[in-house]
Amino acid sequence: MICQEFDYFAPATLHDALQLLSDPGARALAGGMSLVPLMKLRLATPEKLVDLRHIPNLRSIRRKDSMIHIGAMVTHYEIESAPLIGSDCPLLAATAAAIGDVQIRNAGTIGGSVAHADPAADYPAALLALEARVELTGASGEREMAFEDFLIDTFTTALEPGELVTAICVPVEEPGSGVFYQKHPQPASGFPMVGVAARLSLMDGLIGFARVGVTGFSGKGYRAHGVEERLIGKAGSEAELLDAASVVAEGVQASADIHASAVYRAQLARVATVRALRASLLKAG
Amino acid sequence: MTPVITETPTHVGKRIKRKEDPRMITGTATYLDDIKLPNMHFAAIVRSPYAAARIDRIDFAAALQLPGVVAVFTGADLDGVGNVPCGVSLPGLRIPDHSILAKGRVYFSGHPVAVVVATDPYLARDAAERVEVDYTPLPAVADPEKALEPGAPAVHPEWPDNVAFVHKQENGDIDQAFAEADVIVKQRMLQPRVVASPMEPRGAIGDYKSAEGALTLYSSTQIPHLLRSIAAAVLGVAEHKMRVVAPEVGGGFGCKADVYAEELLVCFLSRKLGFPIKWVESRREHFQACSQGRGHVDFYEIAARKDGTILGIRLKLIQDIGCHQQLLTSLIPTLSVLMLPGLYRCKTFRAEVVGAFTNCFPTDAYRGAGRPEATYGIERIVDILASELKMDAAAIRLKNFIEPQEFPFATGTGLIYDSGNYAGTLNNALDTIDYAALREEQLQLRAKGRLMGIGIATYGEICAFGPSPYTPAGGWESATVRIEPSGTVTVHTGISPHGQGEETTFAQIAADELGVSMDDVAIVHGDTAVVQYGIGTFGSRGTAVGGTSMFFAIEELKKKIVKFGAMLLDSDEVQFTAGRVVCGKTGNSVALAQIAAASYRALKLPPGTEPGLVATSFWEPTNFTFPFGAHIVVTEVDADTGEVKIIRYVAVDDCGKLINPLIVAGQIHGGVAQGIGQALYEQMVYDENGQILTGEYTDYALPKARNMPWIESSHTETPSPVNPLGVKGVGEAGAIGAPPAVVNSVMDALSHFGIRHLDMPLTPEKVWSAIQGARS
Amino acid sequence: MDPAVLADCMPGCEQLVATGNGTYDMKMKVGLAALSGDLSGKIAISDVAPPVSYRLCVDGAGRIGFFKGDGELLFSAADDGTGTLISYKGEVHAGGTLAGVGQRLLDTTARMMIRRFFEKLVTAVKGLH
Repeated sequence: MICQEFDYFAPATLHDALQLLSDPGARALAGGMSLVPLMKLRLATPEKLVDLRHIPNLRSIRRKDSMIHIGAMVTHYEIESAPLIGSDCPLLAATAAAIGDVQIRNAGTIGGSVAHADPAADYPAALLALEARVELTGASGEREMAFEDFLIDTFTTALEPGELVTAICVPVEEPGSGVFYQKHPQPASGFPMVGVAARLSLMDGLIGFARVGVTGFSGKGYRAHGVEERLIGKAGSEAELLDAASVVAEGVQASADIHASAVYRAQLARVATVRALRASLLKAG
Repeated sequence: MTPVITETPTHVGKRIKRKEDPRMITGTATYLDDIKLPNMHFAAIVRSPYAAARIDRIDFAAALQLPGVVAVFTGADLDGVGNVPCGVSLPGLRIPDHSILAKGRVYFSGHPVAVVVATDPYLARDAAERVEVDYTPLPAVADPEKALEPGAPAVHPEWPDNVAFVHKQENGDIDQAFAEADVIVKQRMLQPRVVASPMEPRGAIGDYKSAEGALTLYSSTQIPHLLRSIAAAVLGVAEHKMRVVAPEVGGGFGCKADVYAEELLVCFLSRKLGFPIKWVESRREHFQACSQGRGHVDFYEIAARKDGTILGIRLKLIQDIGCHQQLLTSLIPTLSVLMLPGLYRCKTFRAEVVGAFTNCFPTDAYRGAGRPEATYGIERIVDILASELKMDAAAIRLKNFIEPQEFPFATGTGLIYDSGNYAGTLNNALDTIDYAALREEQLQLRAKGRLMGIGIATYGEICAFGPSPYTPAGGWESATVRIEPSGTVTVHTGISPHGQGEETTFAQIAADELGVSMDDVAIVHGDTAVVQYGIGTFGSRGTAVGGTSMFFAIEELKKKIVKFGAMLLDSDEVQFTAGRVVCGKTGNSVALAQIAAASYRALKLPPGTEPGLVATSFWEPTNFTFPFGAHIVVTEVDADTGEVKIIRYVAVDDCGKLINPLIVAGQIHGGVAQGIGQALYEQMVYDENGQILTGEYTDYALPKARNMPWIESSHTETPSPVNPLGVKGVGEAGAIGAPPAVVNSVMDALSHFGIRHLDMPLTPEKVWSAIQGARS
Repeated sequence: MDPAVLADCMPGCEQLVATGNGTYDMKMKVGLAALSGDLSGKIAISDVAPPVSYRLCVDGAGRIGFFKGDGELLFSAADDGTGTLISYKGEVHAGGTLAGVGQRLLDTTARMMIRRFFEKLVTAVKGLH
């Protein structure tokens, strides 16, 4: 398909990028896996594209104390395959590996995905379970916030006009914790109809810590606090996991489309939660 | 004496890599969009968002204002061009006016309303968005069953019942068969519309040269010759002044065996404007305005004895026609009737086909074209019958198969099955998969709550289209074989390969027959200015009909080669073998290259013989061929999510003699992938207003590499007696065998829940809901 | 309450011109992440039974397709007597590119638009009191 005419910029510094993005007709181009298809369909018609690929400090992965700092332009494939993330934040690596297909993972970036805030993106489940933080940079400087607060609604984030996501920060996984991302992909797009990310750790054989993030289920990703609460202090028997998972969709309005009704999504959410918990528990120890 | 192929092949039967592939995988092949002509302009089409609407006003002033935009045309400007043609004649067939741009009313979402021509494609698209069209939406109907209900919105006001045609065929005393039956089972089945999805979408360039009055149409088509005849007639161009070129064609699956409004439109525009006009289909347009496959609502009834003997089959078939008649739209469901009994001996049947107009783009040929639909129906209903009779799915098939000694076998539908060993392929597949052990394993898994299913589907198909009296155009095919003065070989074939690999398989055959290297054979196709008239590539006919015509042209040439050889060796006792004419007495021989040189140098000619070594054959088959096979699929269903996983896929296919097993495997793999897609994923969804809800691959689910099982493919070889090559055709087999095999497997997995039938595609939610329903 | 307040609460509404009898010509800008498009159309408010119910029909069309919404707004006293409960029911149909390629997003997006509508409405209603 044929997109509308636009001016293309590939600034070499963040400063230049922000300056260009101060124009309301400008849009940042990260991996282009969401923006470019929309442009091809003329559903997005930016006048200027500001390609962030040449900005060097957006591509690094580094550990700083107990956090891993991932530049916004790091691709899904890099996250999937980086030894540091594989060893220190396996949940994020597993989530990245579940995204789309090889071509998408080679081009798509974590910053682009997070800023786009697609309600069916894979990352939100893991980022919520990880209590990740987002680093934003705008003309007036840097700020950072919890990913949970950053995510406001369907395709809506806390980004101010002209502001960029510059990094995602995730915690280094504690030794002995078990993590898992369980995804049920929509057969056409590969986006999750429901994806559940779980992190568990045991204390004296009982679950002492639980984080559960859900994506695809509704207009935005969310933390299933109800599930987490029910798990604390439990040994994690099948009945206990089922009981905890039974509240995963409580109080959340399920999305519905031609691929999955709200009722079916609720079922998938329960099943995915049980499976993610079960697998996490097996790994925890 | 009937000629036979060489008994000592060096190429035929071998796994040889395709000669076509290097240019494709190095990006040097020339597809339609790679063609750049001097002063070429670009067309963008303004399409209706509504499925049914009156056009009140079209204002394109703003479009014309853009620099680089040269013209805008609407339905009011179509002088000198006829309608998009329908190639089918059936009694009472209703053929709506199908102008290349809408005139006053639109009939489907995506209907071309206006066309913008500009100096570059981006500009053309920008300008198309500036064309303002006012519509008054009208009631629409997209569901073929609903279209036939009284009071449904009329797609065409002149035919308020929405009936495009009614076709009836029967044989034997069907009422008696049902009266005598011990058991009757009935099932309604849906076969949703699917999108052809070739890798390369459609595209066309019209190039009219006014000084010569000559028109060239480049099109990504499967039928360049037929397209030329039809387009010339519709456009009022003398046929000898028209040329059609099919460049590299990146797949078709039947959707390019058609004649489209856009192909005629670029010709019309070029003639109007005096320069070449290119239009390339976007994916979005492919979903809107390219013919789609299937679209059946079937009501099957089968009558049988307690022992499983099938006594009679009744079918009421509602075919979703869409809003117009494309080239073969209404023919396709009649092929389903011909194939109705499948591989079974039963000759008693009654079928009624009703074509229903809907506010959607027309259906037409899609890989298998009528035969997958028939195979799905019979193989599903036979499975349902088996479970009703508590019979094994394999046993009921073996009981009813036509046996090898019964060939040629006249079916009740009017076909003569050429040859076959149906029990042979099924038993082979059963052995391969170790059926008895698998049934045992299934019981054990079921006891543990796991849902494993075993699905069997056997199929036959009508291929090698076909004897001319039974085909809408001629059913023959043509070939010209030239031995060049240096002894290399050029073959002009009338077929138009677009992925089937005939540049390789034909070269294998020609190399063996002429005793030359494959590298010394060039296969030329797709340009009507170069190649003699032909029919094209569809209906698994390329090798069986096109290859055979090449074989006969070579046979003709061999006679001349022998004459020249005899002259050069000065002997009458000569024969042509392994590329040389050899004297039986002296052992002296002369190579083909020497003979070729002599024939063109023409210093001396055998008595009554013209110079040169060229022969042409137009070969007409006496019958179709009837490939067959057995596919067995093992699936596991996730009871909690309804997700289906294919565990094993065994395909035993018999397509007659294998020319190139590697290419045959590719055809089986591709066909099975599409068949799995149809069974589990693919479905074109329209809402009640005729709006497309699956207009891109984000919502239309093609099978992905990760969805594909390992295919355990093998073959039996039952040569066809219809042609000397013994080949039957294999292009569609996988797409025919897979849908019923996969669905039967999933239904088998769910059988103990009392779930009898679910319609394709078997989406996770559909399967889960059925299990939920059965449990509660 | 002026029915125009309802129309004014349409998310992305940029221009509203009354054409009489409770109908308005509207220009709307849909902007959602990277997605953007202009729609023009009509709003009709009918079956007005203040302060109990309104019927709101919205009809928009543009380059990206068209949509049609038909809904009923019901105002009632909340059970606990502390405020007004606004409930709604209705149907939204979309067509063109919007429907053809946006299936995955239509439901969540429509819900968000409705949510924004009510947020604006609540603000507007509070402003009136």
